[in-house]
Amino acid sequence: MSDRNSDVGGIPVEEVVVEASEALRDRRQTRTPDKKWVTVLDHFRREWQIYAMLLPTIIWFLVFLYKPMYGLQIAFKDYSIFRGVAGSPWIGWEHFQTLFSNDQFIRAVRNTITISFYNLIFGFPAPIILALMFNEVLHASYKRTAQTIVYLPHFISSVIIAGIVITAFSPTAGIINTFISWLGYDPVYFLTQPQWFRPIFVGTGIWQEAGFGSIVFLAAIAGVNPSLYESAVVDGANRWQMMWKITIPSILPTILIMLIIRIGNVMEVSFELVILLYQPSTYETADVVNTWVYRQGLQSGQYDLAAAAGLFNAVVAFVLVMTANTLSRRFSRTSLW
Amino acid sequence: MRKLSLAAALLAGSAITTPAFADGHLRIVEEPLELTIQMNHARYPIYEEDWPVEQAAREMTGIHLLNDTVGANMRTDENTGRTEALNLMLASGTIPDIVGSSRIRDFVNQYGPEGAFLPLNDLIAEHAPNIAAYYAQRPDIEAAVKAADGQMYYVPYLPDGKYGRAYWIRTDWLDALGLEMPQTVEEYEAVLRAFKTQDPNGNGEADEVPFFARQWPELIRLVTLWDGRAHGSDTYHDFLVEDGKISHGYIGAGYRDGISNLARWYADGLIDAEIFTRGSSARDFLLSENLGGSTHDWFASTGGYNSLSSEIEGFAFEAMAPPASVSGKRIEEHRRILVKPDGWAIGYTNEHVVETIKYFDFWFTEEGRRLANFGVEGNHYEMVDGEPIFTEEFLARGPVNRSLYQDGAQLQARGYFQDYNYEIQWTNEFALAGIELYEQGDYLIPDFLGVAFTADEQKVYDRTWGSIRDYMLERQQGWILGNGDVMADWDAYLAQLDDMGMQDLLAVMQSAYDRQYGTN
Repeated sequence: MSDRNSDVGGIPVEEVVVEASEALRDRRQTRTPDKKWVTVLDHFRREWQIYAMLLPTIIWFLVFLYKPMYGLQIAFKDYSIFRGVAGSPWIGWEHFQTLFSNDQFIRAVRNTITISFYNLIFGFPAPIILALMFNEVLHASYKRTAQTIVYLPHFISSVIIAGIVITAFSPTAGIINTFISWLGYDPVYFLTQPQWFRPIFVGTGIWQEAGFGSIVFLAAIAGVNPSLYESAVVDGANRWQMMWKITIPSILPTILIMLIIRIGNVMEVSFELVILLYQPSTYETADVVNTWVYRQGLQSGQYDLAAAAGLFNAVVAFVLVMTANTLSRRFSRTSLW
Repeated sequence: MRKLSLAAALLAGSAITTPAFADGHLRIVEEPLELTIQMNHARYPIYEEDWPVEQAAREMTGIHLLNDTVGANMRTDENTGRTEALNLMLASGTIPDIVGSSRIRDFVNQYGPEGAFLPLNDLIAEHAPNIAAYYAQRPDIEAAVKAADGQMYYVPYLPDGKYGRAYWIRTDWLDALGLEMPQTVEEYEAVLRAFKTQDPNGNGEADEVPFFARQWPELIRLVTLWDGRAHGSDTYHDFLVEDGKISHGYIGAGYRDGISNLARWYADGLIDAEIFTRGSSARDFLLSENLGGSTHDWFASTGGYNSLSSEIEGFAFEAMAPPASVSGKRIEEHRRILVKPDGWAIGYTNEHVVETIKYFDFWFTEEGRRLANFGVEGNHYEMVDGEPIFTEEFLARGPVNRSLYQDGAQLQARGYFQDYNYEIQWTNEFALAGIELYEQGDYLIPDFLGVAFTADEQKVYDRTWGSIRDYMLERQQGWILGNGDVMADWDAYLAQLDDMGMQDLLAVMQSAYDRQYGTN
């Protein structure tokens, strides 16, 4: 498995090259008998441009991800905006008790996982299939046009998307119901029926993101060594066989990495779209953790409770990512770290 | 400093042209005093120093307000009573001298006792004779403004005029079908059914939408036709008070019957099929497309749609009296609330407290109130027989209330007492006829004016109300749409609500209510 990776996958080859040049440098450096920190300093001095390029990302992480962690403590406090984070009294696990004694929160957790699971089953393969299909298209201008069309929805804001969905599924004027009545059936008020929310939501997500998501996989396919296909042709393989035996195995590391990232986001259903599409009558299937937090926490000013729910979300996501990463490393030797 | 000199220049300039202000009896300070203000409202997200009304106020009082808005929010949430901008301001650590906002009551009543805003009881008693005089006449409003500790932390915007929403119906459709104005719920149903089936718009299709609403909770208000209650105040899904007892509309037997009947209406197509998702453009769309038959909406703005008669032959959309309920009662549940949770408060770092409360009091003087309501004399109105009358040029500028708040009048993030005469002058004839009808019938019922919680009560409320409300709305929509039957589900529904803490919630509401308004 690992042999094939380093042979075919574009990225591992690069890694090998980088490693080799690093090793070369290390050997040169062993000649100077300085202490280790001097070596590190030396390294920084030599490669400062690279670190300078890294700097904006590090600052972004510090400002937007690490600094807010200080505020996470309000999950354990009776928080008052006026008293501030430090001045509010500790109350232990009270907010978590409130959360887990609330049926609607439990339901929201269940809905989140269910919707994410559907997203994973139907939404994750979609861009891969799309990328494989694009890869098989021979007519160049047709391919470009089709790609542009499927990328487009990604650039439309969720508000507009929701407007399109509401209109399309409208019981009186919507295209879907026009078609249904045309077939002789009664129109369905889709957006108020709990059983329709998830299919509509997941379908909308696929329509919006599958095209853009396929870019990563197209890039991975582009990195496959052409000589493999050439030798396959010599061996008499057809396109179908080449796809199954060469393309898919070659992009498997990319697929796995994307899958791990996706699993890490299981708790993060795109809640702005849920808020725009759901109704009290569809809370039963539509209410996810983030929308619950929005209604109960932010709208009614209970930031401490919202922080507790957010912390719970993060812990679940962390466990899921760790598990997925470990499994992936064990079974395929591909992992994020 | 540049701003100050600019203001001074304006001051000097306008002082020459309007000598009426020159006598100075409203002057609070000799030397101009600057105070900072954050002002938030959906319609005017920040305070504008060059509003003509503000310039006039500066000249009269000597107090110069400087915009110090930390966070501006374009939207305030009608149902939760919180505004993000206020939270943002508090989180930033600096509170301006004056904070004005819509939906400020719960905010100051929570953070005032913690020390963020100054208590006003003593200040009003000592330095604000006009505000004190108002409260002396209206102890119920004074009670509604107070926090749980008995202190007032804000000076409210006090709406004038009683009438808000009414039932509206296409009277030309009634005529076309040879129907009488419906007087009872049975007749109302028959009329809506006729709208659906007898093609009053005459296009050969049954595309009429008999009942529609811009805000779907207005549909729920129809449960009053079956002796139920929906919204206890002008906030949707609010608690209600009857004879000093707090309850909620959504646990009453009349509500159950009403929802059962509304579900039947919905199934029969008497209610807009898209009632829950059509949204705020429903009235505009359905009326101008000649599809909508009846709704429950505001007097003035809905009456204005009669201008459609120039496009739709015979179009007439008129207010109708609330149909008599199954027991014969005629109730209009919606009214303008007596006191809004909007207004302004004094931040704890304010160093000119006395001047500030005097400035608040200025807006309750005759001149200040006229300024807040009608704008500037000569600019917006002229005095005719002792009454302020808007000038023709001003009325021609466009929608009057918008023109007014663009100039700094009728700002609900300012504490003042509205004068309904400002509105009557430009209200259309259809709305005035409707108001007259409702005035004669005396259909209004008392509003729930809200309560202020202690910290412990607040905890119970926070823990229970959000979930209870979600559950109520979920079942409510479900029943109307035909997911379940309200009659069959009712006992389980009530049991579930109790399970979620409904009784605890009602108990804290009641104790807060008794403390605030007295048990009698």
